Amino acid sequence: MTKKTDHIQLTNINFTINKKLFFNNLCLNFSTSGITVILGPNGSGKSLLTKIIKGLVKFESGSLSIKLDNKKPLIGYLSQDIIFLRRDVYSNLAYPMKINGYSKNQISKRINFLLDYFKFNNKEESARRLSEGNKQYLAFIRTLVNKPKLLILDEPSSNLDMNYTKKIEDYLIKNKVDIKIIMVTHDVFQAKRLADEILLINEGKVIEISKKNKFLKSKNIIVQKFLNGNFF
Amino acid sequence: MNFLIDSLKLIVSLDPDLYEIIWLSLRISFSALLISCIIGLPISGLLSSTNFYGKRTLIIFFNSMMALPPVFVGLILYLLFSSTGALGFLNLLYTPSVMIVAQVIIILPVIISISTELLEQIFMEYKEIFDSFDVKLKNRIKTTVFDARIPLVTCVLTGLGRALSEVGAIIIVGGNIIHYTRVMTTTIALETSKGNLEMAMSLGIVLILISIGINTIVMIMKMLAKKYSYD
Repeated sequence: MTKKTDHIQLTNINFTINKKLFFNNLCLNFSTSGITVILGPNGSGKSLLTKIIKGLVKFESGSLSIKLDNKKPLIGYLSQDIIFLRRDVYSNLAYPMKINGYSKNQISKRINFLLDYFKFNNKEESARRLSEGNKQYLAFIRTLVNKPKLLILDEPSSNLDMNYTKKIEDYLIKNKVDIKIIMVTHDVFQAKRLADEILLINEGKVIEISKKNKFLKSKNIIVQKFLNGNFF
Repeated sequence: MNFLIDSLKLIVSLDPDLYEIIWLSLRISFSALLISCIIGLPISGLLSSTNFYGKRTLIIFFNSMMALPPVFVGLILYLLFSSTGALGFLNLLYTPSVMIVAQVIIILPVIISISTELLEQIFMEYKEIFDSFDVKLKNRIKTTVFDARIPLVTCVLTGLGRALSEVGAIIIVGGNIIHYTRVMTTTIALETSKGNLEMAMSLGIVLILISIGINTIVMIMKMLAKKYSYD
């Protein structure tokens, strides 16, 4: 249940890459519930935008303000570059909880629940020796262990098979009432399946951000081209 | 060839003088190693995980100190701890304590330099995880050191090897006093000059055996690291 004061707002963000102003007074106001899908071609700034929202990248000027349920939410972030500790699967999942002071019992309960839910049984294997698909799947599970209220996912299913992709999508749909999700994807069909709100960006500029149905019926020529696959 | 057989006999016969020297050498080198680890590893942890003005200069300094000539360390400590020196009032010259200080100065840069490089590599690798989960600096260092524990042992053993084989500094500050500050390397130097090759050779053999032992442990640790690092 979103509150009136809730917001995910970027105001006049400026960010320079190679001495070129990439985000020039970028202003965005995301909806505070459901799933927002960010679309755009390669190099459009999708990943950079997610990193800014997570606070991993410092922008030169402007402001970022996030408030959900009247407070700064715990953010779960899934990067495209997946890194694991030099430990087994269980320890990798336990790590975010351990550093936040959860008890062994709480950790084990949460991890076993997630592993059961996602039908992932390689608990004792080295996380770094998993296949690329399993790594991405595990990394997704890892973002959930701390029960984040805002989930930022950068192409969470780019290496996954249909089975794992469906598992993730089902989870997102089932939990979008409690968790705000911002997700980057290249897959327009996935965007259509999941999104409540869609943002299209290109070369650091917002082309359109609107509710899914409105977005899909947009008269904007770039949106039309993108949706029809004639953008490139 | 006879002196070689005699020297082996000396080792096998458990000669008390010989074993007293070996024991003192091990005691001094292990104490120096322990102190260097207590000082050096937290410094490495900080150097590898934080950015501050002068960090690279500090790393260059420690790297350069690895090549510090032990005799020079001995000379500086001699000047400091001699009766007219700044620390002369401590009366530590020609004691095992000042020999430990000398070895700490020699092996500390080795431990800091090698472990910083190792920890920095792992820290950079983990940066994305640390940032994603807003991990505090203390936990970042703890995680990095914990995951680097096996390679860190090999780095520490490298320091031990340097301490055990060192002669220049401890002969100056220890004075090579029989039953008090006489260690393996200083005894080898002394006995060789006296022509007592059996004793010198026995200690040489023991040093080589210890060196083989350390390197075997290093090799085993590396193999274990490969097997259990989950990398």
